Order: sequence, then C-alpha cells, then structure tokens
Amino acid sequence: MAKKGDMLYAWTTDSALAKKAECGGAVTELLKYALESKTVDAVLAVKKGFDLYDAVPTIVTDPKDLDECAGSLHCGTILLSKLVMEYAPKLSGKKIGMVVKGCDMMGLLEMAKRNQVNLDNIVMIGVNCGGSVSPVAARRMIKEKFGVDPDKVTKEEIDKGQFIIEYEGGHKGIKMDDLEDEGYGRRSNCRRCKAKITRQADLACGNWGVIGDKAGKATFVEVCSDKGAKLLDGAVKAKKLTTEPADPKGIEIRAKTENAMLKLGDKWRKRDFEALRSNLWESIAKETARCMKCGACIAHCPVCFTRADKYEQSEPDIMVRAGFIPADPMFHLRRFAHISDSCVNCGQCEENCPCEIPLALFSHAIRTEADKFFEPKLGKSAYTN
Amino acid sequence: MAKASEPVLKYVPTTCPYCGVGCGLNLVVNEGKVVGVEPNKRTPINEGKLCPKGMTCWEHVHSPDRLTKPKIKKGGKFVDASWDEAIDLIAKKFKEISDKNGPKSLGFQTSCRTVNEDCYALQKFARVGFQTNNVDNCARICHGPSVAGLSLSFGSGAATNPFEDVLNSDLIIMWGSNAVEAHPLAGRRIMQAKKRGIPIIVIDPRFSTSARLADHYVRFNPSTHIALANSMMYWIIKEGLQNTAFINERTKGFDDLKKTVEKYADCTEIHGVPLETVKDVARKYARARNAVIIYCLGITELTTGTDNVRSMGNLALLTGNVGRPGVGVNPLRGQNNVQGACDMGAYPNVYSGYQACSVPDNRAKMEKAWGMKEGSLPDWYGSTLTEQINDAGNPIKAMYFLGLNPVVSYPDSNHVMKQLEKLDFCVMQDIFWNESCEYADVVLPGTCFAEKDGTFTSGERRINRVRKAVDGPGESKYDWEIIAMVAKKLGLKGFDWKTANDVWDDMRACTPNMFGCTYEKMGKPESVHWPCPAIDHPGTPILHIGKFSAADGKGTMFGLEYRQPAEVADDEYPFTLMTGRVIFHYHTRTQTDRAKQLHYEVPESYIQINTIDAKKLGIKENEKIKVSSRRGHIETLARISDDVAPGVTYMAMHFHKGANTLTNTALDPLSKMPELKHCAIKIEKIAGAK
Repeated sequence: MAKKGDMLYAWTTDSALAKKAECGGAVTELLKYALESKTVDAVLAVKKGFDLYDAVPTIVTDPKDLDECAGSLHCGTILLSKLVMEYAPKLSGKKIGMVVKGCDMMGLLEMAKRNQVNLDNIVMIGVNCGGSVSPVAARRMIKEKFGVDPDKVTKEEIDKGQFIIEYEGGHKGIKMDDLEDEGYGRRSNCRRCKAKITRQADLACGNWGVIGDKAGKATFVEVCSDKGAKLLDGAVKAKKLTTEPADPKGIEIRAKTENAMLKLGDKWRKRDFEALRSNLWESIAKETARCMKCGACIAHCPVCFTRADKYEQSEPDIMVRAGFIPADPMFHLRRFAHISDSCVNCGQCEENCPCEIPLALFSHAIRTEADKFFEPKLGKSAYTN
Repeated sequence: MAKASEPVLKYVPTTCPYCGVGCGLNLVVNEGKVVGVEPNKRTPINEGKLCPKGMTCWEHVHSPDRLTKPKIKKGGKFVDASWDEAIDLIAKKFKEISDKNGPKSLGFQTSCRTVNEDCYALQKFARVGFQTNNVDNCARICHGPSVAGLSLSFGSGAATNPFEDVLNSDLIIMWGSNAVEAHPLAGRRIMQAKKRGIPIIVIDPRFSTSARLADHYVRFNPSTHIALANSMMYWIIKEGLQNTAFINERTKGFDDLKKTVEKYADCTEIHGVPLETVKDVARKYARARNAVIIYCLGITELTTGTDNVRSMGNLALLTGNVGRPGVGVNPLRGQNNVQGACDMGAYPNVYSGYQACSVPDNRAKMEKAWGMKEGSLPDWYGSTLTEQINDAGNPIKAMYFLGLNPVVSYPDSNHVMKQLEKLDFCVMQDIFWNESCEYADVVLPGTCFAEKDGTFTSGERRINRVRKAVDGPGESKYDWEIIAMVAKKLGLKGFDWKTANDVWDDMRACTPNMFGCTYEKMGKPESVHWPCPAIDHPGTPILHIGKFSAADGKGTMFGLEYRQPAEVADDEYPFTLMTGRVIFHYHTRTQTDRAKQLHYEVPESYIQINTIDAKKLGIKENEKIKVSSRRGHIETLARISDDVAPGVTYMAMHFHKGANTLTNTALDPLSKMPELKHCAIKIEKIAGAK
C-alpha cells in the first residue's frame, strides 16, 4: 500500500500507450484509471493543436481519448486553473482529474482559498516543470539559434539544462543559460519560478531521478496525499500500472536536479528584482501608463475574480475613469494590491498583455518581498467597511 | 438544444472580427454555445494578446437581439416571412427593375466586416446577374484613397510591409494613425519598438493615445498634410539628403516633385509646424537607415485623400524607403476585411485581384470563368458607395446592402435617410436590426464570424482563416448562401457552392495573384500573404523588392499641390470637427455595445474640445452641449483637454445621431472618398444642461 511520502518508479502495462507516451506513460495511465474507476468524472488535460507549439485544453470523459493528451508540450503556456469553473458549469460539483504544472497547482490552491473550487473534487496529478517557452518565441528561437525550420521539428524537450529539438535529419541541444542570456528561452516568470516539483498536488510525477534500466521507461512518482496514494494503489491493483521503489541514487539525483533549478530561480529573482530596486515606482508608473484596459491580466489571473456587477454599479469608479485610456494608475495599483499576498507568478498577466507591461514581474516581486517580511496574513474579513 | 455528444470545452481557433490587424484567438465553445475567448498564443500576429474588443468579441454572438428570420415590410410594418417568400420577392423585384431600367438602376454594397467569400459572392451576383459594375464596399469611406494612391505611387494599392516589421526600423513615423486605439495590436508593435529604443515620431493634429508613445510629437493643423510633406521634401532636397541612386534606378517623376516642392520652403502659416521642426523631422526621416511610415484615416478621409497618400509615397520614394525590411508605407487598414473586400472585386472598376473591368481581355476572361455570354460584362466605372446614395431614386432604384449601416456610418446622416426613402426596393442583410433597416423592404438574417467558415484578409495582406464555432441563430444562413439562393432563383449558373471553400476556389480560379492561396495553405496560423500566384509560392510579406508592381516596374513621384478642405471653419461655424474612433467601439456599435465592458466604458458620444475654447464658451467637463454643422445638429457630451488645439474638435463616429449627422459629403475627385475628417461646426450651450 502506497502512502504519503513514498517515492516510486511507475510505468503502464499497456505497451501501445508506453510507445506513444513519455517515460512509461504512468501519468496518462493514472488518468485513464481515474476515469475507468469513476474516481473522476472528467479529466482536464492538454492536447496538441496546430502543431507541437500549440497546446489546447480539452475535457476528456472517455478514457480512450486520453491518448491524444499523452506527452509533454513545453511550448504550451496555458494555465488550467480557471478553465473548468469558467467554461464548463455543468462540471461544477463533479470530480475532475487534472494534470498540473506548479503554476496550475498554485492557482488551484489560491482559488480554493477563495471558495472558487473545492479541492476535494479535484485529483491533481502534478508534473515537474522546469519552465515553458511561449510558442512564437520558441519558433523564433529555433529558427534563429538552432538554424532549423520550426515546422520541421518533430519533438522538443527541456532536459539537463538544455533545450533540445529533434527534427527531420537530426537533433540539437543548446544550454538554456546561453539561450536566456541572449534573450531567448523560457518565459521570464518561469525563470524565477521555484515550484518545480508539485508536492501540494496528489501525486508529483516526472522524469527527474529515473535512472538505470528504467531511464526513459518509467515515471518518478512521489505520493503527496492520501487521495494520490489511493489512486496509485487502485491502478496497480487493477494491473494498469507497475511500480517499484525508486532507486535511492535516483532520489538523490532528483533532489539535485530540483536544487539546481531552485538555484537558477534564485539567480533570476536576484537579477530581475535588483533591476527594479531603485526605480520601482517610476518603473511601474511608466510601464502601466501604456495600458489599454483589455482586462486580460484580470481575466487570466487565478487569484483575480471580479464582482458580477462591476459594470453596473450606480456610482462610477472615482479613480479609474470609464472611457479613458491609458488606464488611470489605480487600474493596476488596485490589482497589485488585491493579489499582493497571493500572486503565484504564473505569468499569464504578462504573457497576455498587449501593452508589453511586465506585470508578473511587479506582482511577483511584491509578493516575494512581502512573504519574507509579514506574518500572519489576512484572509477575507468578516466585515466590510 | 445541445446535443449530448457536443463537447463541454472546445477551442475553435479563428480570427477577431474587428480591426484590420487580424488577431488570432480561440473561441471557447461549451455544448454548442460560444462562452468566451481564450488566447491563441500560437499565432504570430498577436501571440495570444488581445485588445478590449478582441477580449469581448464573443459577447454579442448569442444576443437575443439577433435577426433570426427574414422580414418583409408589408403596409409599412415588418413581418416575419419564409425564406422562399423573401427570396422570391427579391429576385422578382431586382429582375423587374433591371429589365425596365437597365444595369445602372441597381446598387450593391458589401461590408468590409464580413468574410471574403461573402464579398466575392455579392460582386459576382451583381455582375453575372445584372451586368452592372455598381458594386462597392465600405473601403470607399476608409482606405479607398490608399488603394488609389498607392497604386499610382507603387503599382499596388496595399501596405508594403507586415506589422511586425516595424521592429526592423530605425525610425517610425506615424502620420494620421492612432494605432493604439484603432489597431491596438499593431499599436503593440509600436510599443515593442519603443521598448527597444526605436525612435517614434507621431504627426497628428490631436495628441492621441498613440502620440503618448512618441519620442517626438508634431502637432499640425488639420488636413494640411500635403503642405507639410512638401515642405519636408523641400528641405530633404535642399540639403541633398535624398537617395539619388534609388531615385535614378527605381523611380520616375523626381523633377515634377522637385519643381512643386520649391514653393513649400516655409509654409508654417498653412500647417502650423515651426520651420525648425519641419527641417528636423525631414532630416531624421531622410537620414534614418530604415524608416517606415505608418498612416491611417487621418490621411485618407479627406477630399485630398489620394494626394495625401501619394505624398506619403513621395516621401518614401525620395528617400529610398521601400522594398526591404524596416521600411515602407503602411496604411493600417481599418476593418477586419477591408483589404479583402477590395481584393475580392467588390469594387466598381475591378474584378478580384484588381483586374480592371476596362480591359477587354479581363472582361473576356471573367465572362468565360463565370459562364457568361461574350461581351456581356460592362466596361464602365460603376457608381461608388456614397455616389450610389446620391443616385438613389435616379437612376438607382433598388439596392442590396450586405452588413452595412449607412444611416450611421456614411457622411451626412440626414441626407442618407432622405435618399434611402427614394428607393423602390431595398434589401438589408445583417446580423442585427440596425438604424438603416427601417429603410429596407426586406431584411435578411445573416451569420456572424463565429458561425461561418471563411477568410479575412488583414492590413498586412495576410489571409487569415475564420472557422465556424457554432450554428447561426434561428433560420439565419451563411451570407454567401443567401446571395446564391437569389442567384439560383433568377436561374443564374455558377452559384452552386456547398461550402465557403467552394466560393474561395471559384475566386482563386479567376484571380492570378491569389491562385496559390488555398485553404490548405492557410491552415497554419502563419497563413499566407498575397500576392501568391502559384501553389508552391511562399507568399509575399514585403512588396516591391527590387522592382515596383507597376507595369514599368518603377515607383512614381508626383508634384502635388496643397488644397484646402471643402468646408473650413468660418464666422458662422468657427470650429473644425475631426472624426475618428475610440478603442472601445467598432463602427456603429451593433456588436461592441452588446459587450458589457465596452458599453460601460463609452455608453454615449462625446466631443473633445480645447480647454481655452471650453472656458470661452463656459462649458464644463461632461456637460451636454449642442453641436451643429450646415447639415444638422446633435447633442453630445463635452470632454475638455489640450489634446486638441484651440479651434479644433474631435468626435468618434460610432454613435447614431452623432458625428455623421455633421460630416460633409464632398468627395475626393480621384477616389470618391467623402470628407469625413473635416468639416466646420459651431458649439452652443444648452440652457439648463449640466
């Protein structure tokens, strides 16, 4: 019987799936089993859209359809946290399985605090994430730095500090550090991210620390909750999944990999935040003064939920005048204030901003510095004033 | 009812229905209903980013106000009708009127908001069914002068370089373009350029949202572009900064230009820009290694529109700024498919791909392609958009409007309403009941962008796919399908299309410069930029490399004289009114006003007035005031600032009983563009108004 804290290697017993999926196909198999066993009613996962640079979310209820969600897409930079509650009201109250990166998981945890999701109804299968590259930026990088036609690429991965592509006629890897020093590489929020292993999910899966004859053929699974343990046990019992204890050396390597990523995250935090230190107010004022009020930073933020009557109140906003752009300064100040203790640095606000405002940088800096200084924090107060 | 098999979460990648940037986005579909928009980060055009209109572009799709059934006016009242009844009536009336009064008695107008396939279908119907060239689209009141002017200057009436290409420039001049509001995601490219330190000069009578991005903002007097450009060119030539090698090798007309600009050494009294500033901007433009001019309706919507556009062409040719990355002359095409509506031949003098109707070989070719009798297609220049309105009653007796609201968007609304009343028969095909539908005899329910397949051609000549996400409401039909129904009722051949792709291939087969643009090739978000003459041709993001598109391969410079607008401020009407757009609305607001945020931001029209003028008139911020021109008067709110100069005012054109009640119908002789951007008005307080 698996229990919280266990570390295992796991792989599917389905040889066809193993071929199609990555690292033994354990994640896809676990989701399949979750559907088959009615542990969940639906799975929210990601599939390939136009090509491997296009990640498209999909809700799957037939286990067969999960095959097309197998594998990873490092150029898929969508955040899944908000999608279900927003677009599939019929699924509210149903049990849902989700594959989550660190940002998806943190988003869900923040939403749960605001009663926007009930985590009892969600099975989170976490995957390690070293960061992702925006699709258009990835294509430009592949063309300019790899000298390869992005349409000819058949596979991409981030492994051992390199961005690696396979394409018709070869494969090539370039160190992420070198790429990022030249302005390519991962999204800037990903560079600063320290949620690399999703330990607050139900299971934390990945390929870090899978060594020996299992390398590339099994997934490292850390059991993070009783819910996760139950799902894993069930899949093994149903003979869908085979497991063995992780190689202690593998566990060590996994920890090393994680530490290396965390150090890199610290390096980028230092670099990005230091650059803001002396001219923070000016920088925020200057950058946000381009805002055209598209509302994307609010719509895609997992910790921003707006009042249903926000456009129907009898008293108009005093400090954010309707009908004026650039937006008055309070448009962004109120958002920074609102998310100051809960920005998860998912980067959606910044990536979707049409005005090139480094929003995630600002809100991540605010939260990081505040977390180091203030304790305890406020939840929603019992009063309004 | 939603079918059980319909997915609860489906992303449909498609193209935004608003401006000419052509942003990609995902419509989110839940059990057969559009429930939102999510970013399409894979598209190179906008990388998932959207403006306030793009973010809310789905909200009107399932509006209860959508037209769902054909309506026929009976005894002065509109009653629901069957498709059979409506189509029968339209076919009968158009045939009767055409038989009795000939091809010049009909007028056909298509919106630039609808897909290429609809535009092609309507002009084919007009030409095949009635041998008329009285077919036009609303580019006439937006970038008609760009088509005319750039054709004369460069041999092709379209933007020379893609939006993103400004990042390869060393200097960006925006002239009469407020891209941040009118083309927000093209505005984003300017913001990117600014962050990279590329200098930006904005030349505009108004300190617009885009002007706030400028390193150097140059205010000039409204509608004095030619004087300012001529003066700049005088100083470029005077100081020997012209690109002589380029001029000799690739252009003609330099002597004509040089002679004309001699008179413009110092004409500050016309344009109002200090001479030293003129020299400075001229030098910066001429000395930049790669300089691009981005312009928009500030240049075109005037009686000098075509000459204003040619002045931009002159500047670029004089300095060799055409035909490579980072340079060019780029009109930001207004509507999502204003480029395409023109490309499709919904134009009174050309077939698709700008094949002139006046050329006998072209007519013979189209007659063959469309299965028509030899010699049946007309050679005459058809009546243009607002000319058709002027001709309503005589000689035009019947009109067909596809997706248009002339009462609000054409100049001089009172005149438009009066003219429409003179028609014997009028068809309005639309998705919502608009202010013009009252003047129709039949109103037909079409489908919106989310309900049809097709293509929009953006301002960078990129043909972007539109993909159907959901079915249209009620009995609505695809717009090309409705046109085909009338055509078939009249016994016409060549309208047996089953899909939008069939219509597109019909067009491709007779359009050499788009023959290579197959639906298959447009499958990926990169799609293809025309010209693309062959299936294996990669498309043409940048025009005029090595050789201009004109028959002789040369660019042409013209000596152009400054002319005043048709109506200028005087004692009786002492203020100049300019018109334009706000970011939160699109044209007559049938779609945008149904989005909560957009309505909240700007629920009614306002006029921008200078602080000094407001003080003189005793007008306060947000006070309701009366504004009149020789053509009519309106009430609107005052918005007071120094964004406009004293004596100058500005209104957005989106509102009924708004700017276009005041505007002037005077036309640019070359392009027939009405002078929407300049007229004389007076402003009065309303007694008791707050």
